[in-house]
This record gives sequence, structure tokens and C-alpha cells, in this order.
Amino acid sequence: MPARMSGRAVSRLFVAALLALPASALAQGADRPLGLTLGRHVSFGGEVALVAGPEDDDAFFNYTDYERNALRILRLRLFSEWRIAARLSLVGEIKSEDVAAIDAAAVYLRWRPFAGRDFYVQGGRIPPVIGAFARRAYGRDNAVLGLPLAYQYLTSLRPDALPATNTDLLRMRGRGWQPSYPIGETALEPGIPLASVAKWDTGVEAAWRHERVQLAGALTRGSPAAPVVRETNGALTWSSRAAVTWTSGLSVGVSAARGRWIEDAVADLLPDGRSRPGSQSVVGIDAEFGRSRWLVRSEWLRTVFEMPIVLADDPDARLSSWTAFVEARYRPHPRWQIGARAERLAFGDIRDAAGSMTPWEGDVDRVEGTLGYRASRHLEIRGGWQHDWRDAGRIRERGYPTCGVLFWF
Amino acid sequence: MAPAMRSIVIALAAIATLGLRSGTTAETGTLRGRIEVPDAAAAVPRPSVADLAGHSHSADAVDRRRCVVYLASAPMPAFDELRPGRARMDQRGEQFSPRVLAITAGTIVDFPNSDRTFHNVFSLAKSRTFDLGRYAPGRTGAVRFDRPGIVPVFCDIHSHMSAYILVFGHPYFAVTDDAGRYQIPNVPAGSYSLMVWSELGVAAPRRVTVPEGGTIETDFQVGRDR
Repeated sequence: MPARMSGRAVSRLFVAALLALPASALAQGADRPLGLTLGRHVSFGGEVALVAGPEDDDAFFNYTDYERNALRILRLRLFSEWRIAARLSLVGEIKSEDVAAIDAAAVYLRWRPFAGRDFYVQGGRIPPVIGAFARRAYGRDNAVLGLPLAYQYLTSLRPDALPATNTDLLRMRGRGWQPSYPIGETALEPGIPLASVAKWDTGVEAAWRHERVQLAGALTRGSPAAPVVRETNGALTWSSRAAVTWTSGLSVGVSAARGRWIEDAVADLLPDGRSRPGSQSVVGIDAEFGRSRWLVRSEWLRTVFEMPIVLADDPDARLSSWTAFVEARYRPHPRWQIGARAERLAFGDIRDAAGSMTPWEGDVDRVEGTLGYRASRHLEIRGGWQHDWRDAGRIRERGYPTCGVLFWF
Repeated sequence: MAPAMRSIVIALAAIATLGLRSGTTAETGTLRGRIEVPDAAAAVPRPSVADLAGHSHSADAVDRRRCVVYLASAPMPAFDELRPGRARMDQRGEQFSPRVLAITAGTIVDFPNSDRTFHNVFSLAKSRTFDLGRYAPGRTGAVRFDRPGIVPVFCDIHSHMSAYILVFGHPYFAVTDDAGRYQIPNVPAGSYSLMVWSELGVAAPRRVTVPEGGTIETDFQVGRDR
């Protein structure tokens, strides 16, 4: 669970303060660079994103791991950097979704040991390392309004509950927003995406950039799919990414991660308990090409969840899946932009009760397009359409009109 | 004064005096002085929480002390003598350099990319809306500025990058140096309203009279407006 700062009053104050900023900024003159500082050492940034889509309480295509709908949400973010010393900063982000409690989404120390070099070590609740989207999940960097399936779509897996048979697992196909299993936690909780951007993990990261090369590596307590603040399984996850940018405008990154995703509390209920396989492995490739008015991005991610299914023929299952998306943004005019994304999320097979091989989750396809208007540098309005298809569940296809307002500073 | 208002003042500068000062003589004087800006003028960059790639250490130092001193109105011959040329605003170390550029209307500004990373230059200012798109290291984009006004300039890739281009309808303006000093030479003798633009705040306009062949020293103090 995310660290929570309690208090409805504090939450409302935070929300009111952030909501007042767009109006204040517009009143002052929309296109001046906006920046909040406190003395010489503290700076602030923020984002207010309101996405107004239709209700979706039966298909749940866009639910996130905070049990909220990414296409129907008011998301408020405030981030800050306090320069404690010349090369040491405390970086933090607090956010609120749908005017609920405030979450400390990120809190970490950033240390730059060498002056004049882009080498950082950061420790605390840190940004994800794998993939590229995870590091630009803020609204202004998103080509559309929705999030990629890889980072948002809830699979039927839960780190705190396990199926006893393959049938238990297959029964939950297409029900990732609220899967339940006979072993472990019985309370209703959402499933997990392949990699989470809604929550960040706790650990240490080193990142280095030199001219066209970027390298990053991290050790964290959770896994890409199930980041944690408090320890749940006593294991460490390593993750890394290497990226190269060419002068043509093309950049390509390769990332990988491996770590235990099943909580000890549920593993302890199994024969051989914590010694059973329970890791998540991820490999990914991301690419970006930007030139002139065009920006094209693509990511491919493959992940394998090791999961004990104690009464299955193969009690140590390896549940594979892959996802890929291509997105593009085109600016025909300084104020107007067109964005589109097409993606697929597919799952590997397991044997069902009849002996046939069946995907352990329902494959999902999604396309989304938006038209955006920049009212000012800091204020953007978008509208569009998203359409989803799924090979499982009661609702197998749905389209969503989308519109959103984004303010950032 | 709000930026929009300042923009209007500059825009009107080109118009207001067309019929009023056409009889000014060719004898000139010099305006000079010093602008004092608020303390803590060096900006702390916007925090980069998630993406280190978008925030180089070299982007740390942002000098916001530069001011532009200009005449609110100018004699008629000034408009006939406008000689727009080319100016340059570099992109180096993930900063625009200079951060404040003052030009006459009709000037073409080159935006060379002297970094090792792609950049983008755009503005949504009413007097000049443009977007040069993303372009590679070593490449240059250019924009012609025909209308007086204040044009904030940004990079869409690096959100911490910003700069200002002030476009005037006459040649009587100057950007302050490192010490905050300015000098506007060859100002036709006469009485003028002398104004200051600063991104840090405002300074009250001063009424000055430029004598033939003389120099007027006028200092300003910029106060915070936010």
C-alpha cells in the first residue's frame, strides 16, 4: 500500500491549492515560464489532469492498480526538489487521485557524486527503471489520454493470493479488476499490471548519461508488477536499462528485470513455502524517433511470472505474456496535435481442465486517438476515442469517448 | 505590470508616436544607467522527478538578471531607419543563450542547436506563434519576427528551457550586461518615457529628457511582482 498522509482536510487543502494554480497562471499571462520556488534551494512543479470519460463499471478496461479508471479521473501531482547541498537533493512527489487521500508517490535522495558529470545515485521510493513510458507517465508527455496496456491493464494475478488449480486461474480471465483465489488473502483486491507506473518501488538506483548513452540499474524491494513500500517477501529485484540515442533522432533502449513478486504471507501457505519459484522476469525494448513535427514511440515488453499452482499437473507454472505498442504524435500547427496509439497484450497458454491449451488471461487489443489543443504552454485540452477488445470476460468490446484538460507547471 | 500588458506597451510604441514627434532633430544623446534586480535572481530549475535524461546537470544555472531598457515611444525617423538583420539565440547546455534577446521588428533569429541532443523551439505568443519542430545537433532553425511584442520561447523536449525575445518597432533599447548596466546611444534629443522589462518584476517608468550631445544617467530598481 502506498504511504498515506491522512486527513481529509489536508487532502482538500492540497486539491484546492493545485486547482487554483491554472486560474492564477492564466490570469497572470499564460505563456510566461511558470515556476514556484522557495528561496534558492527548493523548487516545485505540478500537474493537474482531468480526464472525463464515461463510467465503466462492468468492462473495467482502463482501471488502474489504484482501482481507479484512467479515463475518468482527476489526478493532482505536486513534486519538489530540495537542494540540500551542491550535489545532494531530496526529491519528492505527492499525488491525489479523485480527491481521495494524498499518496507520497516518490520520496528519494538524489546524490551526484561527481561535479560536471551526469551520474546519479538515488535511494528511496524511486522511479521505475525498465521501459521508457514509466519515466514519462506525466500527462504532457503522453501522446493520448489513456495509459499503455503494459503499465495499466490489470491482469488476474495477485501477489497476495494464489489459485490452487489451473481452473481457478482460468476462471478469473478478464476479471483483473477484482480476482479472487482460494489460497491467501480472501479480501477483494485488484490484480496487477505487467509493470506498474501508478506505484513506484523502494530501493536504490544508479544512473549515468554520457553524450548519447544512458545506463541505469536499480535494486528494489518489490517487483516491476508489484512495487512495495513495506517489505512483503524479503527478496530483492534487480532492474536495468541501457539506451543509445543517434543523431538521426532515433533512440533505442533495452531493459530487463527479475525479482520475486509473490508475498511471503501466501507462499508460507504452500508446501515448500518460500523456496517455491515466484519471480517475475521482464525484458523490454523501447524506441523513439522524433524529427520535425513527428514523434513516434514504440515499446515491446515480455514478462514471465513464476507461480506455484499446487494442484496443477505442473505445480510451478511459468505464466508468460507480451505486449507491444506503437504511438505517434504529429503537430500540424504549434497549437494543435494529433496523437494515436495501437497496442496488443497477449498471454501464454496453460492446460485447462479438458486438457486443451488456453491463454491464462484474455488477450487485449486497444487503439486510441486524440486531437489536442495547446491553449498555452501550460494548458492543453484533448479529446478523442479509445476502443478496446478482449478475448475473455463478460464484456469483450467497448469504445470510450475521451476528453481531458491538462495543466502543468 | 503583467507580461500581456507589457507586450501591448511595446506594440503600441511603434504606433503611438507616428504623428507626434515627426519634427525631432537629428541631434542625439545617450541614455545609460544601472538596473538593480531582486536578490535570489538565479532560478532553481523545475524539479525532474522521473526522467533524468530530461535534466542535465549543466541546466542548473539559469541567469534571470538580464533586463531590457527601452523607450516607450520614439521619434518618427526611427521607424524609417529600422535596419532589421539577423540575430542568434543558441541552444547550449540545455539552455537558450542569450536568455533575453532584444531585436527590431523584421529581424530573423537563428536558433542553432549546439548541444548533443535534439531540441525544439516553439512559442505560442500572440505576436509570433511558431514551432520549429525537433531538430538535430548542429542544425539551425530560423524565425522572422515582424510584429513588436514579447515572445516567450520554449523547448518542448526540455521543459526547463525558456527564454524571451523582445521585438521593438524602434531601435532605442538595450539589454543589461553582467553588472546590470545599459547604454542606449544615438537617441534623438527630446523627452521620453524610459521603461524596463524584467522577468523578475517591475520597475516604474521614468520620464527623461535627452539633451543634444549629452548623456543622461538613469538607474532603476526592479521590484517583485509575484
